[in-house]
Amino acid sequence: MTSMIRVRNVTKSYSRGGETLKVLNGLNLDMDEGRFYALMGPSGSGKTTLLNLVGGLDHPDSGELYVAGANLADIDGAELARWRADNVGFVFQGFNLIPVLTARENVELPLTLTGLSRAERRKHSEYALELVGLKDRMDHRPRQLSGGQEQRVAIARAIASDPKVLLADEPTGDLDRKSAEQVLDLLARLNQEFKKTILMVTHDPHAAARAQSIVNLEKGELGRIDHNVPPVAAPVR
Amino acid sequence: MLIPLNYTLRSLFVRKAATLLSVFGIGVTVAIFAGVLALQQGFTTMFTGHGRTDVAVFLRPGATGETDSQFSRERGMKLIKSLSAIEQTPNGPLASMETYSGVLRKRVDGGEVNVAFRGVQPATFAIRGDEIRILEGRKFDPGADEVIVGRRLVGRMQDCAVGDVVVINTTPFRVVGIFDSDGPFVSEIWTDTERALAVLDSYGPNRVIARLVPGTDVKALGELLEKDKEAPAKVMTERDFLESQTKMLGGILLGLGMALAVIMGVGAAFTAINTMLSAIASRTNEIGILLATGFRPIPIFIAFMLETLLLCVLGGVAGCLLVLPINGIETGTMNGQTFTEVAFAFRVTPIVIGAAIFFSVLLGMVGGLWPALRACRMTPTEALRRT
Amino acid sequence: MFKLVWQNLIAHPIRSVLTAASVCIAILLLCLLRSIVTTLDAGIQASSAARLIVMSSVSLFVDMPISYQQRIATVEGVTTIGKWQWFGGVYQDPSNFFAQFAVDPEHMFDMYPECELDQASRERFLATRNGCIIGKQLADKFKWKAGDKIPLTGALFPHPDGGAWDFEVCGVYTSKAANFDDRTMMFQWKYFEETLRAGGQDPGVGVYIFRTAPGANVERIMSEVVAMFANGPMSVRCAPESEFQRMFISMMGDIPMLLGWIGTAVFVALLLGCVNTMLMAGREQIHDVGIFKALGFSNAAAFRILIAQSMILCTLGGIAGIGLTLALKPMIATAIAAMFPVFLVETSTLVLAVVLTIFLGVAAGMIPAWRASRLKPVDALRAGA
Repeated sequence: MTSMIRVRNVTKSYSRGGETLKVLNGLNLDMDEGRFYALMGPSGSGKTTLLNLVGGLDHPDSGELYVAGANLADIDGAELARWRADNVGFVFQGFNLIPVLTARENVELPLTLTGLSRAERRKHSEYALELVGLKDRMDHRPRQLSGGQEQRVAIARAIASDPKVLLADEPTGDLDRKSAEQVLDLLARLNQEFKKTILMVTHDPHAAARAQSIVNLEKGELGRIDHNVPPVAAPVR
Repeated sequence: MLIPLNYTLRSLFVRKAATLLSVFGIGVTVAIFAGVLALQQGFTTMFTGHGRTDVAVFLRPGATGETDSQFSRERGMKLIKSLSAIEQTPNGPLASMETYSGVLRKRVDGGEVNVAFRGVQPATFAIRGDEIRILEGRKFDPGADEVIVGRRLVGRMQDCAVGDVVVINTTPFRVVGIFDSDGPFVSEIWTDTERALAVLDSYGPNRVIARLVPGTDVKALGELLEKDKEAPAKVMTERDFLESQTKMLGGILLGLGMALAVIMGVGAAFTAINTMLSAIASRTNEIGILLATGFRPIPIFIAFMLETLLLCVLGGVAGCLLVLPINGIETGTMNGQTFTEVAFAFRVTPIVIGAAIFFSVLLGMVGGLWPALRACRMTPTEALRRT
Repeated sequence: MFKLVWQNLIAHPIRSVLTAASVCIAILLLCLLRSIVTTLDAGIQASSAARLIVMSSVSLFVDMPISYQQRIATVEGVTTIGKWQWFGGVYQDPSNFFAQFAVDPEHMFDMYPECELDQASRERFLATRNGCIIGKQLADKFKWKAGDKIPLTGALFPHPDGGAWDFEVCGVYTSKAANFDDRTMMFQWKYFEETLRAGGQDPGVGVYIFRTAPGANVERIMSEVVAMFANGPMSVRCAPESEFQRMFISMMGDIPMLLGWIGTAVFVALLLGCVNTMLMAGREQIHDVGIFKALGFSNAAAFRILIAQSMILCTLGGIAGIGLTLALKPMIATAIAAMFPVFLVETSTLVLAVVLTIFLGVAAGMIPAWRASRLKPVDALRAGA
């Protein structure tokens, strides 16, 4: 199996209140295509930073970062935005749906960036909503949905344009046990049936247990990697 | 229990950009209102502020002003002689026959306007006393082709310096003096009545003015003269006369000011409402906390009302500051009643400032009511949930 | 994409309506103020080059002798000449002000092709000693029609009997051009002159208006007329009609300039208001912008979403303002008739209104849109839901 995500000597620091805070310190990491990873670690270990870098929301200070075949350190601006539209889907802790749009319109949003016709967009978004089990609520606004439902709409949006990589930042953090299980089931299914590569940041060992591999970050450096399911090819380094 | 004023102040300060923009938006509106009001003030105080009550103006019966009034010289003389109410001096009665006309003059910055051209008899200066002050040069000599020019014309009109020549009809008049006065005379050119009558090819003066014996009942005198067979006339005090001459332009300016205030005020109130609604929307959580802490809706209403009022009054102050520099700037326009140009200065009087501040308070009241009602009607649970 | 922009606008219905309404008000005010100024100029534009005006060199306050008419007629190139005198009569109360002129009826219609009146009314006007014709607007205002009697008190020219002058309406004319006011009354010179003479008064002439033969040298004619009376008894000035109109406007003094200033201030106040609203909208949508960017929307797309909101609000407001201007036109014309007798809304004003609306939309949306496009997705997402 090839690496979907390849991180080489990546450093990233933030300046906050005049102080420079080194978040990632020469990180090296490989992740295989079609695998479900959980990213764990204490607060401040750089989990979300890594996720944002992998998703092309932010730039590394140095190092190389290959995701879905592109070196993200090299591309910028409109090109990077385009790359995001084609290759990654995000799921956030706070759902981040656009409050003024209905569920279906939210799901359709990333499809407007593709060359699809209106009818095709409609078909795709309805399919995505069906997949998450919310086709009957598609004309509701986010505020009219429960938290679990909102998160499933957000997942439908993330997969609507059929990206290779799904990035989830504490997707169950704001949810009750039952809704969290539904969301995790959904992610597992997307991984199994649709072969999505998933990287999920989480605090919750229950959630992490659903992943195939658990990557631990500590103070910006790679810690232990646990495999719930043994990797098919060579183990990640 | 009331919400501390600090909360209101901080809230405005935290949203610096929005507060500043609203204050300026409201400020410009208030400035326009105050500016037009200052124009109206400058205009009316120039006229009504300086009309005398011991000086009577005699016009032809039915005339509305000097332009449509005319006496024959004989009739004027008869009028002056017959009235015991006119004060007497060793040099004769304190009464003067005056002519009034407009003469086209070129403005320094282009264009032509009608400037008031007044012929007066020596008694005018005796009646006026130090109302008319020669700033430069001297008075004209009776019977000579000489004029004196009001101070406000100097610098606005061409050929208005001492030594310049003003041609009226076919006669060249020499400017021999510049005079100042607090009343509307400062936008006039004066010469001798006889010379004015001659060059304008006119058969008689337009009005008679006279100083009255103290205690004269002008109203009774007017009723008497109206019915007089020999020399009927319309009479009023100079103050009343000047007031009647400014009604039209003063009314137009006041009307313009009010119309602008209403129209722009609506716009400014919209700005205030928008700003406050947005402020409340972004602070729903805070309101929830206040409610949960035990504050009653009324203090919350008051707090938001105060915030809007403060915003608008700050705008009002900004507007007054914006309008202050125009105080004293001179401008001119045609008085629709006399068809001659009057020059006058913008006057930012305490009345103008007061009206501007009142206007801004009014804006605050109107603009604040709805948002404040909205804020105080929230229930704590609703407010806390809508984050 | 448009859907999203629209949804954002109607998510804050009050704010959007208030903003559009204030744009509407400002555009309305701008159109009105500018129309007052352009209407003044319209008189100049429409004035005829073939007509020349003779007046006293002193001012319109002063009359010329009646004998000038024949002497001016002798100047080579002058075809028709007519007298005009401002009557200044009062109908019932001074607040009912309208302009009245004593005119030579024979030349009236040759001189002013702008004045439209049917043949029967013309003949009736010529045949009636105390006849007058009145403009359409004037007739509508006082509900006068042909055959009505109009009693006027002569403020400048009191009737020798001490009573009122009586005029009989012979027809109602309409005006074809901006320089010809249809709120005026014109009556027979002969009636005017004879009545005054009966009272021992010699009437003077306010202005002479004459036409020149085609191809005549207007400059020469003007200087000949002026030279003719250079030594009195009343020296004159002679100018084309446009010059005369211009003189009237310059008598307004600084009023047109002040209106210009007010218009500018209105626009600035409004711009600030709109910028404020759009900043609020922009601030509220920071988080949304973060989501868009995460989804793969470009910076340019974020820019467009915000600027489009501003453009839509301003455009709707602007259209409403223009509509309101056109709808209120007759009302406003009546309200300001005392100072500005004619009120026209020119196409150029409407075009200007459109341009300003667009400018406003762009200017107000620019800052938040630029901010949105510059936002880093990570920061925008952190900015709280």
